[in-house]
Amino acid sequence: MLNTAELKTSRTTGPLVELVKKSFTGRLQSPVAQAAMLEVQNVSVEYGAGRAMAYALEDVSVAFRPGKLTLLMGPSGSGKTTLLSVLGCLVTPNRGSVRVLGNDIAGWSESAKTELRREKIGYVFQAFRLFRALTAMENILLAMELSGRTGRQAREAAEAALLAVGLENKGHLLPKEMSGGEKQRVAIARALINDPPIILADEPTASLDSKSGNQVAELLLGLAEKQNRLVVVVSHDNRWLPLCHRKVVLQNGCLIGDDMTRNTTGKLGRVSRLSV
Amino acid sequence: MKLAWRNLSNDRMRFVVTIVGIAFATFLMIFQGSLFTGFVRASSKVIDASGAELWVVPRGISCVEFGSPLPQRFRELALGVPGVASVRRLAAGYVSYQKPSGQRESVFLLGADPGNGKLPVPLLSAESGAVLTETLLVDESNADKLEVATLPLAVEVNRQRANVGGIINGFGSFLGAPYVFTGYRDAVRYVGLGTEETMFLMIQVAPGGDVETVRQALSARLPQADVVTRSEFAFRSQFFWVVKTGAGGALLTAGLLGFVVGLVIVSQNIYATTMENLEEFATLKAIGAPANFVRGVVLQQALISGAAGALIGLLATFPLVQLTLRFISWIYTPWWLPAGMIVVSLLMCALASVVSIRKVIAIEPGRVFRA
Ligand SMILES: Nc1ncnc2c1ncn2[C@@H]1O[C@H](COP(=O)(O)OP(=O)(O)O)[C@@H](O)[C@H]1O
Ligand SMILES: [Mg+2]
Repeated sequence: MLNTAELKTSRTTGPLVELVKKSFTGRLQSPVAQAAMLEVQNVSVEYGAGRAMAYALEDVSVAFRPGKLTLLMGPSGSGKTTLLSVLGCLVTPNRGSVRVLGNDIAGWSESAKTELRREKIGYVFQAFRLFRALTAMENILLAMELSGRTGRQAREAAEAALLAVGLENKGHLLPKEMSGGEKQRVAIARALINDPPIILADEPTASLDSKSGNQVAELLLGLAEKQNRLVVVVSHDNRWLPLCHRKVVLQNGCLIGDDMTRNTTGKLGRVSRLSV
Repeated sequence: MKLAWRNLSNDRMRFVVTIVGIAFATFLMIFQGSLFTGFVRASSKVIDASGAELWVVPRGISCVEFGSPLPQRFRELALGVPGVASVRRLAAGYVSYQKPSGQRESVFLLGADPGNGKLPVPLLSAESGAVLTETLLVDESNADKLEVATLPLAVEVNRQRANVGGIINGFGSFLGAPYVFTGYRDAVRYVGLGTEETMFLMIQVAPGGDVETVRQALSARLPQADVVTRSEFAFRSQFFWVVKTGAGGALLTAGLLGFVVGLVIVSQNIYATTMENLEEFATLKAIGAPANFVRGVVLQQALISGAAGALIGLLATFPLVQLTLRFISWIYTPWWLPAGMIVVSLLMCALASVVSIRKVIAIEPGRVFRA
């Protein structure tokens, strides 16, 4: 969980951060608000217009807390990606509100949302989406450059990030020279480099073989359990079930299930042994 | 800067194609521009070289190449006008030139009184100012065509004796028929003007005199002729050759087409380069790159390609123009042409990237989660 001390040492500045700090200090007095770090209320997303209009999401309300890995499940086309995009401030819903770190982002300017995405949210994609012309190291450095961090310290931080995902010797490789699992771990290192409290991953293991899939899954679980981040993973892979703390199920754009699957301490010794 | 460079160098083939495209476009623009500029310059070359402030031209005549006779007494009338320092005559016309081999060639013969302009006149020596008779001067670009291998060379002009006595340069003809220079009296004889006839009068205004005042005074004295400044006559001649003749029209069209085609090639390539990386720009936006950062990358990619292409195009142009000079002696590349075309190329790159940036900025960052 973020605390005031952590916010004070935050590297970032700017109106958004000030806003978040203010609201955060305010929110700390209220235990209820403190619990939900990311939440949507009565959110609907429509595609098309007129007769062709269809709901990708219909009146969905759900809140997420730090320290938990939430699995978002549902059949193909049920709206998982759309919900994740709304949570990630990448898609503006037609109706309903999105609250990130206690702030309703309705009416925020594009640049404020951009800053929010950059500083507070890390994204992991099924297709990795590394910059193909940049090495693993440079991919991470680019994300740091966006936050204004360059130079030797940035390099050292990027090296540490590669070490954390077990790729300390692969920093010089281009994406095309890496396996899928390695690419996804670079992507996770990139998503983490600005230390965001929120991690959103869409089918992060779908393109991977089971061994690299497990590595990636354990990494993401560690982010929630050991680093107290809020992690939402979209997947229809049942192998995630024993790892997640909570399972949210969508169908036809509606939320049809929300279960706590196990408590935070976890029964999976195998997973908690991993250092992340 | 790094991302822009890497995006370009990552896909070498694409980069090479882009650069070659832009290089070709730049070359095309400069080369066509040089042909056109050279043609324009050549079409008023004799007038510009005259050094005269004013020209007395037969009524309605647009250029030296299609002259008609003026009464000889106009020269004396002009000399009587206050402010006129000197009057030089120019006689010109197409004549048949018989080469040593016996073959005939149509040439444009010009004979001017000697004076302070740059019009070639065969002189005994520069100091004496005495005009050599029956002597022809041939431009080096036409020496082969006119079979001038040794000097002096006995030839015939309109079946009359003549000697090629010297080689000049800078008077390559754009007409097809070579320019050949001789003395005024010989020109009158070769061209076949009557004894009371001349063709053009080149007026030198007295030092400190007002050209416009003298022009008006001359006009009043010679109402049957046009009195124009050198630049007016030069423009008249350029306009005639460029606009009223097929040759100039074709060059103008080719020049404009070269320009347009060049612009299209440049913008197409830049647009394609940006679109190639559209997905990555979406990712950049999603992970929180400010719009200006993305714009910067797109613009840098465009300008790097543009600068590299334009530079290569420029480097290719000079040797090719030099080579072309052997066949088209009047092709001319003024300094501002390559400079201008490079600026135009870069502007075009920037413009094309602005158009493609709009597309990039418009992409919805939400698409990144879709595979
Ligand atoms: N850009 C779009 N245009 C039109 N319909 C879309 C678009 N994106 C998603 N949809 C529709 O919204 C619904 C939910 O899609 P999505 O969120 O991708 O589902 P999931 O990730 O669960 O497979 C689907 O019916 C899909 O066809
Ligand atoms: Mg999906």
